[in-house]
Amino acid sequence: MEQIVQTLILGIALGGVFALMGSGLSLVFGVMRIVNLAHPSLIIAGAYVTYWGFKLWGIDPLVMLPIAAIILAAIGVILYKLVFEKEAKSAKYSEMTVLLTFATAMIVEGALGGMFTNTQRVTSPDYATDAIFFGNVFIPTGQLYAGLASLVIIGALALFLKHSRFGNAIRATTQNRDAAELLGVNVNFVGIMSFAIGIGLAGAAGSLVSFVFSFFPAKHWEWIAVLMSLVVLGGMGSILGTVLASFMLSIVAAFVGAYFGSTWSSMTFFLALFLILLVRPQGLFGEKPELA
Amino acid sequence: MSQLLEVTSLTAGYDDGPAILDGAHLTIEPGKVHCIIGPNGAGKSTLLKAICGMLKIRQGDVKFKGESLKGLRPDQILRKGICFVPQERALFPKMTVRENLRMGGYSLADKSGLERAIDEIEERFPILRERRDQHAGTMSGGQQQTLAMARTLIIRPEIVMLDEPSLGLAPKIVHEMFGIMKMMASEGITILLVEQNALMGLKNSDWGVVLDLGKTLFEGPAPEVLADPRIQELYLGGKKAA
Ligand SMILES: Nc1ncnc2c1ncn2[C@@H]1O[C@H](COP(=O)(O)OP(=O)(O)OP(=O)(O)O)[C@@H](O)[C@H]1O
Ligand SMILES: [Mg+2]
Repeated sequence: MEQIVQTLILGIALGGVFALMGSGLSLVFGVMRIVNLAHPSLIIAGAYVTYWGFKLWGIDPLVMLPIAAIILAAIGVILYKLVFEKEAKSAKYSEMTVLLTFATAMIVEGALGGMFTNTQRVTSPDYATDAIFFGNVFIPTGQLYAGLASLVIIGALALFLKHSRFGNAIRATTQNRDAAELLGVNVNFVGIMSFAIGIGLAGAAGSLVSFVFSFFPAKHWEWIAVLMSLVVLGGMGSILGTVLASFMLSIVAAFVGAYFGSTWSSMTFFLALFLILLVRPQGLFGEKPELA
Repeated sequence: MSQLLEVTSLTAGYDDGPAILDGAHLTIEPGKVHCIIGPNGAGKSTLLKAICGMLKIRQGDVKFKGESLKGLRPDQILRKGICFVPQERALFPKMTVRENLRMGGYSLADKSGLERAIDEIEERFPILRERRDQHAGTMSGGQQQTLAMARTLIIRPEIVMLDEPSLGLAPKIVHEMFGIMKMMASEGITILLVEQNALMGLKNSDWGVVLDLGKTLFEGPAPEVLADPRIQELYLGGKKAA
């Protein structure tokens, strides 16, 4: 019993972090129809920003979080202007963006490797190695903080999307771009801002990742399939779906890891991605994919 | 005759594709109901999209109150008071009815009266109040069309362009939609209607415009257009193509 509760707790804590990692990806896909394969590499960039803030000036990763988010959001705007805006009119936009984001991921990885070498890093505030005990069950403090911070950020994002004027414009553009434009929404601006927010969320996730996992520039390859499985299970573009999928798959992965060994735990995500695409490609909340 | 909107020898098309409209013209008088008829693929929807700024005007011009709309974006044309309800109704399926109405006021510079304006609309269309927290995509076709039409009222538009509001609706519901349209017209809103069913469209309009192969064949008072022998001919041809 204790073993089950313990596994569940670890799964939930990890789910919170994955939820934040996936929600930016989901937002960008929803509004822009860009499958951003560079998202995980930008999470790693956020992790480096946080790592150096802590290492050089001793700034707590949770304080670095908004800073990393803003820096990455700015990088997002530049990236959009340089890489994606020109292609927006192209008929092969979706196919193009897969290649462009793939190339972006390689460039980000190369740049990070060039600047910071391929050494494994981890940000190590005191709480990262601490744990809170309830009898024999424990929660790693770092994962607890990361999970809570994730939920706060996702909650704020949800409130923003649901209740602010601009958030409504983002949702409207996701659901029906032409209709939003006809009602006076500047959809191009919504696109840029959503991209900035999405990459900003990658930066924020990077701050949390930096003390929950150890990381190095090429680590993003491991995550791309994990994040894809979350976004696909959630229904491409549905943030709520992505969050629920993160908890579901992380909990399943935790149990698989506990009972079959940790190598199998990451297999959970790959297998899930495969099965979802086969059985229910529209995911939990997505529309049926167009057959055309 | 004072003209509110004037389309002259308009050429337009999609992206880099061929010209779909080539020589379309149209005159619109304030406060009247105008109906564009023509067979499938004639370019009726394309004409409305060109007027509202979704498509680029390649040649010719669209003038609103004597001022050219050439080169303006849809949001800029909307702010001049020209609303477009496309064939697909342009709702946000996963937003509530109330949120859809609120999006209708997105272009308003002054938001202070928005909630009250929405309340008024809900009063006039009780079904929208009843369904206010329901996702728009879960409503029936008639309810969705009602929402799409009612939503235009929020910005107090001068011209509302309706693309086949009857599409896919039962005759009784179609009748209701025409009722809403006439009510809008009676409040001084100028209507530009596109209708597949020429007879029904013209009977409910003041002015008729016949479009075929991207050109205006002729226009005139609705009863005259309705009586024109060319209409019979065109429509027999049109039905075959459909
Ligand atoms: N998005 C588009 N891209 C390219 N061509 C299009 C597009 N939409 C319509 N067309 C073409 O433009 C022509 C006119 O289409 P349009 O939709 O304006 O006709 P319509 O008169 O509204 O017909 P209907 O009664 O079927 O609605 C058609 O030949 C169609 O194939
Ligand atoms: Mg049409």
